[in-house]
Amino acid sequence: MSAASHSASHAGSHALGGSPSKRVVVGYGFWIFLLSDIVMFSAFFASYAVLVDQTAGGPSGKDLFDLNSVAIETACLLLSSFTCGVASIGARAHNNLMYYGAMALTALLGAAFLTLEIREFAGMVAQGAGPTRSAFLSAFFTLVGCHGLHVTAGMLWLLTMMAQVFAKGYRADILRRVLCFSLFWHTLDIIWVALFTVVYLFGAAR
Amino acid sequence: MNLIWAWGHPEVYILVLPAFGIFSEVVSTFSGKPLFGYRSMVLATMAICILAFMVWLHHFFTMGAGADVNAIFGIATMIIAVPTGVKVFNWLFTMYGGRIVYASPILWSIGFMVTFVLGGMTGVLLAVPPADFVLHNSLFLVAHFHNVIIGGVLFGAFAGYTYWFPKAFGFRLHEGLGKAAFWCWFVGFYLAFMPLYVLGFMGMTRRMQHYDVPEWHPWLLLAAAGAAVILTGIGLQVAQLVVSIRRREQLRDVTGDPWNGRSLEWSTASPPPVFNFAVLPNVEGEDAYWGIKQRAREQAVPAADPDYEAIELPRNSPTGFICAFFATFMGFALIWHIWWMVALAFLGAFATFVVFAWRDRTEYLVPADEVARIDRAHRRAQLAAQPAR
Repeated sequence: MSAASHSASHAGSHALGGSPSKRVVVGYGFWIFLLSDIVMFSAFFASYAVLVDQTAGGPSGKDLFDLNSVAIETACLLLSSFTCGVASIGARAHNNLMYYGAMALTALLGAAFLTLEIREFAGMVAQGAGPTRSAFLSAFFTLVGCHGLHVTAGMLWLLTMMAQVFAKGYRADILRRVLCFSLFWHTLDIIWVALFTVVYLFGAAR
Repeated sequence: MNLIWAWGHPEVYILVLPAFGIFSEVVSTFSGKPLFGYRSMVLATMAICILAFMVWLHHFFTMGAGADVNAIFGIATMIIAVPTGVKVFNWLFTMYGGRIVYASPILWSIGFMVTFVLGGMTGVLLAVPPADFVLHNSLFLVAHFHNVIIGGVLFGAFAGYTYWFPKAFGFRLHEGLGKAAFWCWFVGFYLAFMPLYVLGFMGMTRRMQHYDVPEWHPWLLLAAAGAAVILTGIGLQVAQLVVSIRRREQLRDVTGDPWNGRSLEWSTASPPPVFNFAVLPNVEGEDAYWGIKQRAREQAVPAADPDYEAIELPRNSPTGFICAFFATFMGFALIWHIWWMVALAFLGAFATFVVFAWRDRTEYLVPADEVARIDRAHRRAQLAAQPAR
């Protein structure tokens, strides 16, 4: 057993002012996971930056990116972060309407984001600009696709959390999971802001 | 190429840094002294961690990044020798003036210090780009990385295996066979890999399917003889494990502290109870258990029983193993584009995860009486083993 869970299990019984609450320990542990995830994304961002001009005579970002569609994607994701925040407040307040309503809205916005992204990818592949076309496109699909996979996993997690609250109620351990889910969802949003800027805005301006 | 080595070079430090930690524990325990320069040890580790991410290009100096880039990465690579040197000196100063007990864990550690310094020096040599143009892909390189990985990582793993085996399984490993295995490994390593440095200078490249240079032959025979000595060492290690298991009653570690250890794990029974520590130890500095033992000796009366409390523990679960089973299939199916298997394996992994998340009881309580019973038995064993005054 780790020292962390040991100290957590003694929380409250020892009034030494030392042991942090389980909520803090779990949140901190999840932050470390998120940071490692961000390290992985930084590697993909770096390789994208190095390979962005290696188009092998194929299309560049300027030829491929549709900023209108990407703007709607961005709006969906940013709004979903807001609704996700509302859902956290609802969970803490044990307010069913607020929690389920905001989670459902978050899921809808996430689904809209994914639909637009899949449509963009499918369109690119259809015009011969798939990941095998050039080093630029390999890096593009790896970076943006990896974010998309994270959002997909987040959607599954979101639906699982709605089912869990429905089946188990606002239990302390379920609330800690809701906290971790919201941290995950906000992090995806942060990564998207960087992605939107570095890949789409810089790409369309080149 | 850049991505794989931007990962691959830090990875070799992920291999060796835990081994460095093992050596720090072993050297200080068997020298009977606190680790010399603890803070500089931590700083050196952090310096290696950061520099590890800034040297990857030295794996392909010959690919034509240009003189400036090669020079920067060459210098960054050489700088890593500085924090590593700090560590080696700290281990030596820990031993200096100590009363060294030559048990097999410290034999592995001393063997490491000698071997790793040698491997480090050939590494600094390879970090010079012009030298690397000559030695790239030669047996000199092969000799270098075996020199640091066998002499560093493997010796560290063997030191840690011997050192913590009694803590994990409750009985020590046979010392005689352990020492014999060490000497076979140590001598066999030098016989097997020093000739490769020579062969590298003679122009032999790696991954050859056959060769027709008569001058290489004697050196390769010598290397083969060294490999046979290492094989004997491996055989002795297998024999050591078998003999130790059969004689486990004679080798039983009753006190939980077979090496007169300094850190807290040696205050628990071997193997430790499921909750590790019956009460949270109060740690005020390094070598916490050493301090506790010193105070006990000064007071000359056994400390009073602590207040035992019930301990909450997480329930065991096979979820990780089952998820990994499905994930392996998923990875295989993704590589070979077997989409139905991807879907099925993903479903299996996700279902396992949901079942895990649906548990209502994730923890159980060890009652205070049970904690007290287990801990008192251990304390009696510790007292009984103390020499009479």
